[in-house]
Amino acid sequence: MQLEVRGLTKVYDKKSGLHPTSFKVNKGEFIAIVGHNGAGKSTLLKILGSWILPDSGQVLVDGIDLKNRLAFVKLVGFVPETPNLFDFFSVEYNLKLFAGFFQVPSSRIEEILKEFDLLPFRKKRIQVLSKGLKQRVSIGRSLLADPPVMLFDEPTVGLDFEMTKEVYRLLKSIHARGKTIIFTSHRPEEIRTLATRILVLHQGNMVFDGPPDEYFGSKAYKDLYL
Amino acid sequence: MIKNLAALIKNDIAIAFKNRSVYLILFIPLFAVLSLNLVDPSNEASQATRIGIIRNENYPFVIMKSIRSADKLFIVAMVKSVEEGINKLKAKELDGILTKTKNGANTLELLVLKKDSFQTLAIVSGLTALQRSAEGKSASWILDIKPLHEEGIQKHALPTWVLMSVLIVGFIIMPAQVAEEKEKKLLLGLLQTPMREIEWVFAKLFLGMILTFTAVLLLHVMGGFDFGDIPSYALFLAAGGFCFSSFGILLGFLCGSQASARTLGVLFYLPFMFPAALSDISQKLSAVAPIFPSYQFYQPIRSILLEGGKISSFPMEWIYLLLVGVIACMISIRLMKLRWLM
Repeated sequence: MQLEVRGLTKVYDKKSGLHPTSFKVNKGEFIAIVGHNGAGKSTLLKILGSWILPDSGQVLVDGIDLKNRLAFVKLVGFVPETPNLFDFFSVEYNLKLFAGFFQVPSSRIEEILKEFDLLPFRKKRIQVLSKGLKQRVSIGRSLLADPPVMLFDEPTVGLDFEMTKEVYRLLKSIHARGKTIIFTSHRPEEIRTLATRILVLHQGNMVFDGPPDEYFGSKAYKDLYL
Repeated sequence: MIKNLAALIKNDIAIAFKNRSVYLILFIPLFAVLSLNLVDPSNEASQATRIGIIRNENYPFVIMKSIRSADKLFIVAMVKSVEEGINKLKAKELDGILTKTKNGANTLELLVLKKDSFQTLAIVSGLTALQRSAEGKSASWILDIKPLHEEGIQKHALPTWVLMSVLIVGFIIMPAQVAEEKEKKLLLGLLQTPMREIEWVFAKLFLGMILTFTAVLLLHVMGGFDFGDIPSYALFLAAGGFCFSSFGILLGFLCGSQASARTLGVLFYLPFMFPAALSDISQKLSAVAPIFPSYQFYQPIRSILLEGGKISSFPMEWIYLLLVGVIACMISIRLMKLRWLM
C-alpha cells in the first residue's frame, strides 16, 4: 500500500465538502474520482495536494504524514485544473525556480523540456502559450522531483480534442513509469480510457469504490449520467 | 534556506518590475506636492500658543504683563534655561521661546522650530496685537525670529516624502503583490515545494526593504539632500521598512484578491500617512498621531534629517517599530499555514 486516507474530513457547510472518507491506494494504480459538481472531488484532491487543510483525518504516503509538508510534497505532485505558473516569465524560468526548491540538477529541466516537447518554447513567456502548452508545463513542473504519486484535477477541462488526446498520452506514459495516478473527471470516456479503479463521491461521501467494468453497470454510474 | 531565500527574493523583484508596481516609488514627489496642497491649517492660529519664558531672565515688565494677561492668546510656561526650552520646543511641548536681546532694550528674540509655521505666525501676530494695545505704535517687541531649522521648504518636506515612500511600499505595493500570488494560486504552487513558509515571508520582507531603501535613495539623489547621521538614518529606515512591509504582507493575507488588497492598502495608507506627516503643523494632529506606528517612524526620521538627531534619542520608537513588524510577521506566517483565503 502506497497511500492511505483515514477519516479525512473537510466541511464547508452541511452538504458540500468532504465527510469522513477512508481508502487505500496501491502503488501503480490509476484512480479516477468522479461525482457531481460539489461532490467533494476537488476538495479531496486539493487536500492530498497540500492546497487545503483538512478539518480532521490522516493521509499517509509511503508512511509520511500530510502534516509533514516539507517531506510530503516530495512524494506527491499536484497538477491543478488551471495551471498556476508565473505568467510573466518563461517556461524555463518556471521550471528552474521550482527545480531549485527541490534541489534537482539542471539536467532534469532539460529532460522535462524534452519529454514534454517544450524545447521550442523554453524561452517563451507562459502568458503567450496555449492552454494545452501551459498544461504540459504544469505537468512537467510537478514531475521535476519525480514524485511517486501524481494528482490531476480535471486534466482535460477546456482542451480541444487533439490536446485531450495528447494529455491522455502523457498520463499513460507517466503511469507506465510505475507512478500512482489519481485524477478527477466528469467524462465517462476519459474514465474508461484511463482508470483502473474508480471512486465515486456524492455530497461528500464515498458511494462507490471498484474497477471500471463494475462501475459502468452500477447504480452510482446510472445516478450520475443516466 | 539561504538558497531558497535568494531564489524567492530574485523572483519577487522580477515580479515587482514585471507588474510595474515598482514604478510607484518614482511618483512619490508628485504625491508629496499634492498632499501638501491639501493642508488646510486655517483654524490653527485661533488656538492658544505655548510660549516658553526663561525663569531667571529679566524680561521687560510691560511685555511680561501683557503676555500674562492675554491668557486666551498665550499659555506661558517657565523653563530653567534656553537648553531646556529648546528640548521642549523639539518635543512640541512649546511653540516658541522668548529670550532677551543683547542690546537690553524693550525687545525680545523669538526662538521657534520653523520660521514659516503657523505657530510662529500666531505668536508674532498675538504679540503685535498686545503691543498695539499696550504701547500704541512703537518699535516692535520682536527684534528677531530665530528658527532651529535653517533649511528650505524642500528639506522640511523630506521626512514627509520619506514616510510616504515607506508607506507606499508597505501599504500599496506589498499587499497587492501578496494578494496577486494568492489570487493566481502561485503561493499554493510554491507551497507544493519544500520551501518553508518563513522563507517566503522573509523574501517578501527583503523585497519591501530593498524597495524602501531604493525609494529613499532616489529621493536624496533627486533632491540633493544629505543623510544626517547615516547609521541612525539607515537603522530607522530598516526598522520602518521592516515594520510597514510586514504590515503590508499581513494586509495581503487578509485579502483574497488584488483589488481588495489595493483598497485595504489605501484604507490603511491614509490614516498612517496624514496624522504623522501633518503633525508638524497641527497641535491636534500631534496629539492623535502617536497612536500610529507611522508617527514613531516619522518623528525620529524628522529629527535625524532636520535637527541632527541620533538613534540614541529614540530607542523606544525603534524597538516599537520592530515589535509591530515581528507581530505582523508572525500573524502572516500563521495565516499562510492556514492557507487563509487561498
